[in-house]
Amino acid sequence: MKSREQEYKEIFIAEALEYYDALNRHISVLEKNPQDDQALAETFRLLHNLKANAKAIGYLQISDVSHKLETAFSLIRSKELSFSQEVVAVLFDGIDLLGDLITNIDNDTYGEPDPVLMRNLDIIVDSLSDSTIELAKVQKYNTAKSLSLSDLIYIPIKKLDHMLNLVGELMIDRDRIISLSRELDNDELKNVSSHLYRITEDLQYSVMGARLVNIGSLFNKFPRIVRDIAIAENKEVNLVLEGQDIQIDRNILQIITDSLLHLVRNAVNHGIESAAERVKKGKPSTGQLSLIARNDRDNVIITLEDDGKGIDLKQVRDAAIERKLIMPDVAKALPDTEMLSFLFEPGFSLAKEVTEFSGRGVGLDVVKNAIDSMGGRISINSVKGKGTTFILQLPTSIAVKGALLFEVDNIFYAIPLIHTEQVVAITTDELHEVGEVMVADIKGETVTVVYLHELLNAEEADMRLGDKSKLKGQIQNIIVVSYNNRKLGLIVDKLYRQQDIVIKPLSKPLDTIDLYGGVTLLGTGKVCLVLDVPAITRFFITRR
Amino acid sequence: MSKQGKKETDSVILSQAESVASPALTDPKESPAPEAAKVSAITEMVHLIVFKLGAEDYAIKIDQIKEVTVTPSITRMPRTPGFVKGVANIRGDIIAIMNLEERFGIRQVAEQEGAGSGVTYTLVIEAKEYSIGVIVREMPQSLNLAVSKIDKTPAFLQDINVHENYIEGIAKVDNRLIIVLDMYRILTSDEISQLSV
Amino acid sequence: MKKILIVDDSFYMRTMLKNMLTDAGYEVVGEAPNGQTALELAKTTNPDLITLDVILPDNTGLDVLKGIKADQPDMKVVIVSAVGQEVIVNEAIEFGALAYIVKPFSEEKVLEVVSKALAE
Repeated sequence: MKSREQEYKEIFIAEALEYYDALNRHISVLEKNPQDDQALAETFRLLHNLKANAKAIGYLQISDVSHKLETAFSLIRSKELSFSQEVVAVLFDGIDLLGDLITNIDNDTYGEPDPVLMRNLDIIVDSLSDSTIELAKVQKYNTAKSLSLSDLIYIPIKKLDHMLNLVGELMIDRDRIISLSRELDNDELKNVSSHLYRITEDLQYSVMGARLVNIGSLFNKFPRIVRDIAIAENKEVNLVLEGQDIQIDRNILQIITDSLLHLVRNAVNHGIESAAERVKKGKPSTGQLSLIARNDRDNVIITLEDDGKGIDLKQVRDAAIERKLIMPDVAKALPDTEMLSFLFEPGFSLAKEVTEFSGRGVGLDVVKNAIDSMGGRISINSVKGKGTTFILQLPTSIAVKGALLFEVDNIFYAIPLIHTEQVVAITTDELHEVGEVMVADIKGETVTVVYLHELLNAEEADMRLGDKSKLKGQIQNIIVVSYNNRKLGLIVDKLYRQQDIVIKPLSKPLDTIDLYGGVTLLGTGKVCLVLDVPAITRFFITRR
Repeated sequence: MSKQGKKETDSVILSQAESVASPALTDPKESPAPEAAKVSAITEMVHLIVFKLGAEDYAIKIDQIKEVTVTPSITRMPRTPGFVKGVANIRGDIIAIMNLEERFGIRQVAEQEGAGSGVTYTLVIEAKEYSIGVIVREMPQSLNLAVSKIDKTPAFLQDINVHENYIEGIAKVDNRLIIVLDMYRILTSDEISQLSV
Repeated sequence: MKKILIVDDSFYMRTMLKNMLTDAGYEVVGEAPNGQTALELAKTTNPDLITLDVILPDNTGLDVLKGIKADQPDMKVVIVSAVGQEVIVNEAIEFGALAYIVKPFSEEKVLEVVSKALAE
């Protein structure tokens, strides 16, 4: 696990080495042209930063040497010290010493800085323009040491994003080449393309791997946050963290940061009761909150569980009926998990009051949207009086997703596997027209079924989602998708295989069409539209 | 979007100018300066790509066009506005293909006997963030014109209220009237950015 | 959540400040490593408070402060500076900075100054 101290240290060293290189550059310019004000200002600024950073992290030798050099350069800037050859030599040595100190931060056997050099620096700084001072010769550092570069580099995430996009493009071309090699039936081409396949695969995993960060980098922020909210709310909360070393794509972690913060705040504010109330209910006075990450095949599962007062299902039901989200008689028959999923509807909140830390207009719908946006899932379990659990299922990486390929009206579509429950084939007789929709009994469960062709292509005015006669043929292939605990069967024209796809986001101006999560290119070069299950579910509900 | 490895086999015209966003797009404040410069340089030329929409001639400046190609196979996107014909794979880039006749409500001219080979062309327009393909029915033509030939403020522009924002000016060449469009304005207009159903 | 913009040319300093502030429940809406970015972000992110380093690669912090104040006279600005820059810090206070923090700073000090400045 990477602690915050370790992270600070790595950042400090990387930045300090960068400064050191820049200092060497600037001082070489200054040696030739002592009047270069910009190089002087930059040298001064870099030393100034190095001093402050080193002091903050506690590397006092570095901060001391930087301070001396900073003073020397500020004297040069104010023309109180001339940039004479002797002075230049000492300054060069001083900067080399800084480099040595930085690279030897972890070296316990590195002794004290050369006292002669330190004295020379003091002489420069203290004696001002006294030209008669004797600067003792010290051993030149540069001649004695070898060059070394940092093993750690910092890469802007944008560059990694770009690399990942390029890998995505490469994989699409690779699939195209493989499909061509089969069509041409050329053995040599087949060999080369299967080698290309493996290399691209490795490349993809390396790039994805370079983007992974420990989930601890987010989790470790929570102890402090929970403590502060608990104090403000006058509650006792014990936070348990687990799985900090689980790795996840940095951008995914970024996207869920606000969501997780919101859920944790909610749990402390509205979930966990005050100590007195807990004791009255026969619970331990300290509330338990656990934030646990674990791997599940290609996904990361984050569970946030509290042992607080839980969610009052009746309240949810009443609120849903009151907001006309559901008919009263339907509400009665709805399973608990489906009822709880109403909490993710826009503007649906049970928090009665806005407190200092949470509830400021940000509802669970925003959390859900964030998770949806990267193709993850969120679900909620709660027992009144016992507590609430949120389960976030997140992809480890954004690039490649397993998907189901199918065809509707001669157009290729894909649905990411994370949203598919099962695939079934039933006869048209097994479909029943109930009101405005079709339903079918799928493995003992009554599921609403929709003909995708009708939903996507019919004129909106004469769309008839409950009309079986629109269906072609006797056997219907149905992909059962699930979103927000609601299942929906999608009848497709032709069902193809399961395949790993690289989703290319739609670029402007099409990026606002939310029905499509993006597109992918098939091995044949054909464009395949990736259906966004949350959006298609919402679209169905509004057209029903 | 990959800019390398561009193959030119099915390109009709390939602009060498990598479509760099015009100053007017990147920084609206700076636009008056180049305008002023154009006024002073009387012989300054502009390179246009001319095409037909309906019965009229339209044109786009070549630096707004990435390439002109035979329209590739288009995948229809259900539940998008009618003028969005779908998306196409143009050298690995997925590009939205639009029909400006439908978008501007321009009456389509019935195809003449023998004139239409069924082949249409697509102008690929790429701005900083947007890229779209525009379908045209006849082979577009290239035209060099003195900037001064483009009338930037014809009086009648005040009378049409719908698309005047996209019209950069009207050029008159040999009795032809050519409507010069500013594609960047079309791309950044609210109408296109609010495509969601 | 109160929004804060961090202006500092050192990534290390920005990271420390950002962690301290976000841990305390502030939202860090932007980080500017130089004066020009600082002026842009001050406008686009419209923060409740700006922490401003006085030595920046392109401008002096003082110029940035004047630039911000010219546009957003009510913007709350707190100066963050290492020792040795007292002259600039005093000048900055005259130009409307609310308070200053001396590097190296403690978390308590940062949070105290920021919350006081926000309450003003």
